[in-house]
Amino acid sequence: MRGLEVQKVHKTYGTKKVVDDISFHAPPGKILGILGPNGAGKTTIIRMIMNITAPDQGNIMFKDGRTEHKGIPLASIGYLPEERGLYKEAKIMNILLFLASLNDVPKHVAKERILRWLTKFELEKYANSKVEQLSKGMAQKVQFIGSVLHEPKFIILDEPFSGLDPVSQDMFKTEIRALANLGASILLSSHQMNIVEELCDDIFLIHQGREVVKGDLQTIKERYGNFRVNMLSEAPNEVILNTGLVAESEKLGHARYRYTLKDRVSPLEFTNSLPADLEIRELIVSRPSLHDIFVKIAQGGAEVASNMENS
Amino acid sequence: MRQTWKIARWEVMRNLTNKQFIIGLLITPLIMVVFGGIPILLEYLNRPSISTYYVIDHIGIVEEMQELLPENVLLEPIEDSESITDIVKSSKASGYFILDEQFFTTGEINLVYSDRNSNPLNAVQKALSSLLQQKRLSASGIDPEQLSFVTAQARVREIPIEEEFEPRALEMLVSMVFAFLIFFLTVTSASMLMQSAVQEKRDRMAEVVLSSIRAGKLMQGKVIGHFILGLIQLSFWLAIGLPLAFFFLDLPVMEIISAVNIPFILFFGLGSYLMFSSIFVGIGATMEDIQSAGNSQGLVVLLPMMSFLFLNPVLDNPDGNIAVFASIFPLTSPTIMMMRNGLTVIPLWQKLLSGGLLLITVFVTIRLASKIFRIGMLMYGKNASFKEIFKWLRYKES
Repeated sequence: MRGLEVQKVHKTYGTKKVVDDISFHAPPGKILGILGPNGAGKTTIIRMIMNITAPDQGNIMFKDGRTEHKGIPLASIGYLPEERGLYKEAKIMNILLFLASLNDVPKHVAKERILRWLTKFELEKYANSKVEQLSKGMAQKVQFIGSVLHEPKFIILDEPFSGLDPVSQDMFKTEIRALANLGASILLSSHQMNIVEELCDDIFLIHQGREVVKGDLQTIKERYGNFRVNMLSEAPNEVILNTGLVAESEKLGHARYRYTLKDRVSPLEFTNSLPADLEIRELIVSRPSLHDIFVKIAQGGAEVASNMENS
Repeated sequence: MRQTWKIARWEVMRNLTNKQFIIGLLITPLIMVVFGGIPILLEYLNRPSISTYYVIDHIGIVEEMQELLPENVLLEPIEDSESITDIVKSSKASGYFILDEQFFTTGEINLVYSDRNSNPLNAVQKALSSLLQQKRLSASGIDPEQLSFVTAQARVREIPIEEEFEPRALEMLVSMVFAFLIFFLTVTSASMLMQSAVQEKRDRMAEVVLSSIRAGKLMQGKVIGHFILGLIQLSFWLAIGLPLAFFFLDLPVMEIISAVNIPFILFFGLGSYLMFSSIFVGIGATMEDIQSAGNSQGLVVLLPMMSFLFLNPVLDNPDGNIAVFASIFPLTSPTIMMMRNGLTVIPLWQKLLSGGLLLITVFVTIRLASKIFRIGMLMYGKNASFKEIFKWLRYKES
């Protein structure tokens, strides 16, 4: 398989297992969203991919064309870390030229690419400004440029959208999609579920170092997508539970309940099973968003995920 | 190696275009001039002022007396008059006295002063005593030559049992100046390096740079970059200082240059820089910022100062046990070796032992520092404790 292949990777710090038997594949041209609550092990995985730390067990392979590497050659990686910054007292152009030179981009090529990217992000007039003069969002764009100047085959973006205004977020989304279309494998770590839902082809959810959910977004939504019904009704709760189609019920307020339907129960099937004289004042049917899945898993970990799967 | 050079070049460029660095480059010699100049100025200000005394000389010894007085006490012969008090008061003179025959019998003089502060009583008394003795001796018939022969003081001259290295003033001066200069440069460059590591973390650039380059190369590049910056500083200061020394202080520049043992200084200077810079950069990587660094880390900065503990013992006795120890112990050996080199002849075994130990220490500190650096650079939000640092040292290389 082309792209990045993480195979049964383990990492322990002292007695704490931070990464426990993780495997996934990031193919070229696709965006893989890696999600997980804080401390789930995302950064450690990213650092292992970048060969900053080595896994205790397992392999990280990268196949580019016909050659297969153990680990990714540094020159093939573009990395936008979550902890962000730039040399404060240096000029934008100089910083970007320096970063490009680290990846062996010839100076004239680098210069041309920098100007092209700066123009894309409407920053061309800041080329010779110092970082101190930029706003946080502008600096973030400069960092993004720095991570893709050498046209890497594999791009890691750690929380690329945090702190951006909606317009800039859209700019980033467009550019990230464009990079994927040009054939790069993209690994995106983010807490902003709506963006992940919008942008990612595949999802990898990790909690306490262990894989929780993985696969393409559509399949995941179908798998965890038991319908939810928000209902406002004075009828006793038992009436609804008696239909036998409800997996879970939650009281949200006076006479307001949220029901999670059992696996493969359609909304129509559910409503048809309700007593004909039931007085319903409000009824909303929805599928859980990635956000709900994430929150549930973040709170309950792998057991919740397996419960969700079985229910 | 190419990656290392890129980092080194970036460090050099970044600093050369940095206002702080340029100000430091210009101001350091100024500070040295000021600190070197202040003692001279103080001495100048503290020199005794000139005081003049009117002398009514009835016995003709004023000229003899003047010769016995220090330069700042002047005697002005004057005719005896009733208004002498008024003359003194209206002039700048500090007072007056009368020399007459009575002096030779009583040995007493009345010095009438108007300005207590400038009263050089001791000098006047000494000169008069000497004159009085001479007069009385010649009156009693003793030959003054015989007298000086009889009262002559014993003189002791030190002669070593074997022919010994006799330090020439110039060599001593040069070795001291170089020891200090190398020490100063090592400490400033190493602290700049430490700041650069901290800054890399503070600016949150460490991770980005480390995604393109190995930590070891980054550290190497920084160490080399700041070495080049140190050389730039040194050559800049020498380029200014040597001509100044030549023109104003009339120092024999060519002789100084030939008195410098270049390979010796290069070896110990470089060793000193590599040792302290690797220690500093390693420690820098464990800090969140320099202000909040713990006391224990602050102490590391004081390591190069250890040489100063040995300064006096080495100057007093450049071949003593303390001096030998300090010139072999790696943390102090570079500075002390350079100092001793101008003060004495260092036995070959000491040079070899000291040089060898320094090389081993440099090797070990670089190894340890790169381990600490690799992990420390990626740590955010806190200073590492010494316990953590020791734990990192035990991690195997990955």
